[in-house]
Amino acid sequence: MNEWTSYQLQDFIPFTAEVYFRLLERMGETFWPLHLLTLGLGAATLALALKNRPRTACLLPAPLWAFVAVAFFLQRYAELNWAGGYVGYAFIAQAVLLVVMALTGWGMDNAPRATNPPVATGITITLFGLIIMPLMAPLSGGSWHQAEVFGIHADPTAVTTLGLVLIILRGFALWIAAIIPALWLVVSGLTLQALDSTGSVVLFAVLAITLVGLVWKSIKPKR
Amino acid sequence: MKPHIKHRITRRQSLTLIGATLAAMTLPTASLLANAVGMQQKAFAGTDKKLPVIGMGTWRTFNVGSDPELLDARTEVVKAFFEHGGGLIDSSPMYGSAPDVMGYALQQLGTPESLFAAEKVWSPAGGSAREQVAELKERWKVEQFDLVQVHNLTDWREHLAALQEMKAEGTIRHVGITTSHGCRHSEIEQIMTSEDIDFVQLTYNITHREAENRLLPLAEERGIGIIANRPYDGGSLIKNLKRRNAPLPEWANEECGCTTWADFLLKFIVSHPALTCAIPATTQVEHMRENMRAGHSPMPLANARQRMIAYIESL
Repeated sequence: MNEWTSYQLQDFIPFTAEVYFRLLERMGETFWPLHLLTLGLGAATLALALKNRPRTACLLPAPLWAFVAVAFFLQRYAELNWAGGYVGYAFIAQAVLLVVMALTGWGMDNAPRATNPPVATGITITLFGLIIMPLMAPLSGGSWHQAEVFGIHADPTAVTTLGLVLIILRGFALWIAAIIPALWLVVSGLTLQALDSTGSVVLFAVLAITLVGLVWKSIKPKR
Repeated sequence: MKPHIKHRITRRQSLTLIGATLAAMTLPTASLLANAVGMQQKAFAGTDKKLPVIGMGTWRTFNVGSDPELLDARTEVVKAFFEHGGGLIDSSPMYGSAPDVMGYALQQLGTPESLFAAEKVWSPAGGSAREQVAELKERWKVEQFDLVQVHNLTDWREHLAALQEMKAEGTIRHVGITTSHGCRHSEIEQIMTSEDIDFVQLTYNITHREAENRLLPLAEERGIGIIANRPYDGGSLIKNLKRRNAPLPEWANEECGCTTWADFLLKFIVSHPALTCAIPATTQVEHMRENMRAGHSPMPLANARQRMIAYIESL
């Protein structure tokens, strides 16, 4: 026990499960009924992505990333974890990146087909982030305020965005746009694992499927 | 009328009494404390001041942000701590909102005289040691810290020099250094030998006893107080004992009054002669009460301590 290897994952998480899940619940309580708007934006983004409007689809999630950065990370999560502020800035960077990509059209996949496996994977992940993730807490016995929602909470925002970028982007831009959401899912998955939450398995599974989709879309000829 | 009964002490009884009194006077202080009633206290840092042997840690447990419900719940935990004779509370700027939560609790409860406020300075927190201490005082809403420690030895030369200056000025009362998880013991030993410090905080519990080899004897020799962190090994000790459904041995109750695993694990720690106090952390009032009861007599003596180790290793 004389070296740093004696540390465990939970030694790096400075709060308890009770506090973390209360934080998620308070986000839900504080911003209801904004959830309806963010979910509507998410659904509209998916529809635009599938109707060959990738630049608009890339632009719409950007303000939600900025909102999560400020309302969740900078104003709340950073109270619990000194590193939370840095994650907030990373979320702002993702918002800026999405805006820049939308304005320049860099890396847009202008004709994604739903039958294309990576695109189908993207659609599935997007629907999972928009519909299934908010239902997970209530269906496992929690209250509706504990529901994690795209555009309000960090995990479904990252998951849904990963799905969307798999649909609307290609090439190097696809990987660049996936870095911050994927890294957050790693951090969040490890956090949930340290807090003994089964939610970590879900996030790691989404991450693994996304990675397969990213590789597939990168090596497979577009059409 | 009640009969008047005279007790006449024989010469043999007188000699026995005198002999017993002289023998008691030669016993070490810890043994005398072991028979005292209520929360035991130990002198520290070569002074005649004493600290209750059970303190309170705040890592993870007191980092609740600005959640009003949880702020009030933690205030109840602090209230129970003081009601049961608690003294030392330890926090750090690394513990998120824990210093603010302490400030909230002290504002609600008032600041009791028994409070021994212990904080830390930590380089990633930003600012000099002096600036950090000033900011932490604001957060705790206290006039002065009783102890400021260099957290995990980060930039310890600069921080310790600044803290020594502040101690000389009377801005803080005592200085110390901390480590955990058994890390950097040789560096800790070097600092204990070469620097004038009052406290060392380190990990010491029934399954992590590396400090017994060199650091605890050195602390006794140099009159340095020892604060034991991770008394339950981050909660895993209690969790594993409960998972195994391990029975508390009957002899533990007979020899040192252990009725819970908290008693068993904490009494083992604070009965070491070099230990000043242990700082278990909890979010539950009932667990706080259990922790505090462990600071009461009787404490295990050397033989019982060995038996405790053997029992835990046998599980």
